[in-house]
Amino acid sequence: MKRFLVALVSVLIGAGVVAGVAVFAHATSGEPPLLVAEAGGTVDTPEGPMNSASLELYIYPNNSDAVPGPMEGVNALYASQGWPFYWPSTTLQVPANSLVTVTIYQYDSGGRVFNPYWAKVHGTVDGTMTVNGKTVSEWDPTKIAHTFTVHQYPDAGQPNLFVSVPLPDLGANEVGNANPYVDNPKVVTFTFKTGEPGKYVWNCEFPCGDQYQEFGGPMQQRGWMSGTLQVV
Amino acid sequence: MADTLTPPTDGPEAPTNRPPAMHRLREWLQRRYVRHVLIITVVVGFALLPLCWLILAAMNQSGGPASTVMEDIQQTIFVFTLVSIPITSFVFAVLIYSLFGWKGKGGDAPPNNDNPAISNNITAVITWTVSSSLLAGFLVAWGLIELADITADSYGSQPTTGQLRNADEVVINVTGQQWVWTFEYPQYDKVTTDILYLPKDRPVLFNVTSVDVIHNFWAVELGVKVDANPGAITQTGVTPNKEGIFNVRCAELCGLHHAYMETEIRVMPQDAFDSMMRENGGGSPS
Amino acid sequence: MSTATIYQVEVPQPKQHGKPGGIMRHLNFFTGLIGGVVLALVFGFLMNIQFPAGAQTANFANAAAGPTFWAMMVGWVIGFMGGMGAFVGPIRWLLGRDLTHDDAEFMAGKDQGKFRYWRFTTDHKVVGIQYLIVAMIILGFGGLLAMLIRTELGATWMEVFNPDFYNSLVGTHGIAMVIAMIVIVSGPVGNFIVPLMCGARDMAFPRLNALSIWLLVCAVPPLILSLLVGGIRDGWSVYQPLNAQAGPGMIGYQTTIIVFAVSTALASVNIMTTILTMRAKGMTWSRTPILIYGSFAAAAMGLYAFPFYMYSQILSMTDRLINTSFFDPIEGGSVWLYENLFWLLGHPEVYVILIPSMAVLMELIPVFMRKPLFSYYMAIAGIVGVVGLSGLVWAHHMYMTGWAPQANYPFMLSTEMISIPVGFLVLVVIGTMWRGTFWSRLPMMAVFAVIFNKMIGGVTGIYLSDVPADQYFHGNMFVTAHFHYMLMGAGLFGAMGGIAYYFPKMTGRYLDERTGSIGFWTAFAGFQITFMSMFVAGLQGQPRRVLQFDSMFNISNWISTIGAYTIGIGMLIFLAAIISSWRSGQVASSNPWQAQTLDWQTATPVPLDNFPVLPVVTKLPYDYGVPDPLAPKTLEKEYDEKVGAPS
Repeated sequence: MKRFLVALVSVLIGAGVVAGVAVFAHATSGEPPLLVAEAGGTVDTPEGPMNSASLELYIYPNNSDAVPGPMEGVNALYASQGWPFYWPSTTLQVPANSLVTVTIYQYDSGGRVFNPYWAKVHGTVDGTMTVNGKTVSEWDPTKIAHTFTVHQYPDAGQPNLFVSVPLPDLGANEVGNANPYVDNPKVVTFTFKTGEPGKYVWNCEFPCGDQYQEFGGPMQQRGWMSGTLQVV
Repeated sequence: MADTLTPPTDGPEAPTNRPPAMHRLREWLQRRYVRHVLIITVVVGFALLPLCWLILAAMNQSGGPASTVMEDIQQTIFVFTLVSIPITSFVFAVLIYSLFGWKGKGGDAPPNNDNPAISNNITAVITWTVSSSLLAGFLVAWGLIELADITADSYGSQPTTGQLRNADEVVINVTGQQWVWTFEYPQYDKVTTDILYLPKDRPVLFNVTSVDVIHNFWAVELGVKVDANPGAITQTGVTPNKEGIFNVRCAELCGLHHAYMETEIRVMPQDAFDSMMRENGGGSPS
Repeated sequence: MSTATIYQVEVPQPKQHGKPGGIMRHLNFFTGLIGGVVLALVFGFLMNIQFPAGAQTANFANAAAGPTFWAMMVGWVIGFMGGMGAFVGPIRWLLGRDLTHDDAEFMAGKDQGKFRYWRFTTDHKVVGIQYLIVAMIILGFGGLLAMLIRTELGATWMEVFNPDFYNSLVGTHGIAMVIAMIVIVSGPVGNFIVPLMCGARDMAFPRLNALSIWLLVCAVPPLILSLLVGGIRDGWSVYQPLNAQAGPGMIGYQTTIIVFAVSTALASVNIMTTILTMRAKGMTWSRTPILIYGSFAAAAMGLYAFPFYMYSQILSMTDRLINTSFFDPIEGGSVWLYENLFWLLGHPEVYVILIPSMAVLMELIPVFMRKPLFSYYMAIAGIVGVVGLSGLVWAHHMYMTGWAPQANYPFMLSTEMISIPVGFLVLVVIGTMWRGTFWSRLPMMAVFAVIFNKMIGGVTGIYLSDVPADQYFHGNMFVTAHFHYMLMGAGLFGAMGGIAYYFPKMTGRYLDERTGSIGFWTAFAGFQITFMSMFVAGLQGQPRRVLQFDSMFNISNWISTIGAYTIGIGMLIFLAAIISSWRSGQVASSNPWQAQTLDWQTATPVPLDNFPVLPVVTKLPYDYGVPDPLAPKTLEKEYDEKVGAPS
């Protein structure tokens, strides 16, 4: 009888440890808090009226006191102060069956993107974006700072969503090292249509990290240059 | 033991003190446990037989096979399942008969030493060795032939001279990068897409490479799989023979979003393929 | 000059400096821990002055925190081993102070009670128990990670962990389990049982033995801590160049592997030398128990395989820290070089796990069947065949890499050939079962479980050895399920049977059969559920190491997760059985299974020098059962009586 009690206790302890570690790891995973797109009014589209929503994102080349970056949880242990990041969050939520307008204020320098495919705009309405008010459909592949790329991820349970937008760079002398940043960021605006609800991920396709092929560091760590996009 | 010895009616012909082999085999087969083990083997074997088709059904769940390469792969898996069933079911039968036929005895002290002290049986050893070697030899031979077949089907040994083996061939440069696939069609004004469009019944040549880490280009239902290595081009090919929507997945861990490095394959008729290329800005085939 | 009496012989002794043991009296695991932590901090601090973590300097732009973390790892290893007293021997030797007999007895843990398990103790029985405990701790850690992995995969609707942490879980689980599986049989059995079975008083190199276990202990913390600093996100194989993008946690992995490889090499040399030179009088190669062959084979393969692993990690480390480019394709390195080095380890390594586990089973089957081992020479042939082929099959992991498509043909040949010697081992097992009434105790039940799993693992292995089939299965969940059937289904369940079998010798008590069996069979049932449905997921086309997947894989993953939790429960029950039996189990006699091998002929607990008089061997230790009434000879005789002998 005592043996069975010991067995029961050890199973309970084991389950407790697993649950505890899971909850702890989930809580300290360093993913920034959810950012919900701000709902706008109904807009007319060729397919009829649609709801609209808008998101504002910022890209900073490094963190500062004013913009601490995603340095919570495990990130605080080893993440470098010099990593670029999306702000205020990389965990995005947008409404389903809507027109979502994203505005990105880009404060970082850049260079050549590996694959010129990412210098073109994909998946937005009309296949265009506006850069500081000017409408374009592609950008010079040697002058890219980052991209915002939502993945093609086929799943029987959700529609495909592929959006990729290049974010033009700032000249080297235009970039500030810390806050206050220069007040002439590249402001990129684009609009895409969402379909039925689904869960997607997005990341930057410009090699802006460190280590091999500049794809280490912030590129391999959620919350900096990659995140999730929920369509609800 | 209830086994009785029935001597041959006309007596031994050869001047030997051992019964003839056929007789010994017959005698062996008449033993109760032998018959039971063999019966269980047959029963287990037939119980496992549906696996041959169930395995293929599971593989075809997403719409394959969509090429002759995939058909060859499935044929190989089918044959391997079939061939491994007899030996597996024999071993399982011995386990089952040991548990329920010969049975075990519990207790704190070991049971009496009344089991037969069989320390060797040269016939069993030779039979087992020969049959397992034959089986392994058959599987190797089958594998080598199928591999040669698939290599021929997928142009695996084509030299990288830029010379097409087949005038009809569609060349696609597949680039893996963290964490997306892009497909470039050099014959169509270097159109680049994120979805793999393929014409039906036309040979396709993939030049696969990577710009960063190792990926693995896996066109699931087409049976195409090859690593995308940085700094090297690996070639493979296929002739899709079924229209539909299939999957490309990355089958080599490649970092953060490895799980999401997937895209679609759309196999379509030639004219639909051409208009899809034009729609993407590719113009007519060059 | 003083003398000491050793086995009735007066032996002259060197001068005794202080009390027996000298400074070793004050060193133990805790001083090692303090030494390791202090030196790690000192080294880390010094390196941080030169190359500050967090800053991006010109030379080390690629790994800002790398040098500091590396220095901490070096500090940990040196400090821990120094604090344990690993360097005391060499220093004494340099000072010209030989060990006296009293020193040696102190080092062997004489009269130190339970505290000798915390020390740099040379007694092989202490080392064996230490190996067992360490292996179980690593196994528990790996099992915890497995539960987290399955939690993520079962929760198909969300990312429970973010992908980088999930990838770290996968990689750390993989390498932790591989290390645990390598040592869980070879460690306790190779160190505790093999010298006893050989009829020796200790291992050939007792101090190397202590060194090998404490190096293993030293290798574990970097692995666990690496989870906190970026983790091992690249699978246990840490392919280059993905490896080069990982955070400083990768240095923890590399340190672990380098230290572990040294530990394995020492243990291998030790086991091989013991077996070669210290077998009892009369124990010729044709009277050597099969477990000794198995341990020798594992040690030999380990000695051959692990250096490749160590080189691959040393080269990776220099790539990372001082910008060499062995594996960096942009700078002219080769990713295929890494794959080759890795798999030159990787494939022999699975046999390093499997062969000892199979050998333990072959050792215990005759005891529980009360029958001789069927075809002893076939068993040896099987082991030799596996060892011979194990070094020639590595590239079957690289069929799909495009490295050398023409090499696929010979590697397919050699890989499928390995099923023949493995088949020999299966024949030995089922041949020993043939026509026997078994003694249904837990160790014997493990045999049934293992042979069942091994058949499934073996057959699916034949699929994977075939290039066309591998074209579908490579990098697929099918592979994951297959190697879990081999390493866990055959290796770990075999180890559980082995632990149950040797438990009375190691602890003096029986492993409690009831709770033990409940745990074992719960784990077995959960195992079938988990990995059968993982086969299905693989057949459907789910790639390995993904945390989210197409919804068509949901059902198989849900079932798999339920099964995994069942395994967890079963393993915990088994663990509880071990702990409670160890403390207060039924007391066993010195030979409770009435086995004939030498290890059961000593007293329990085994005295410090094992045998009061060294034994002499005159036969193979598998004489069980009555002569077979149906054996050909009898048959012929009977036949002769009935038919009449030819004149």
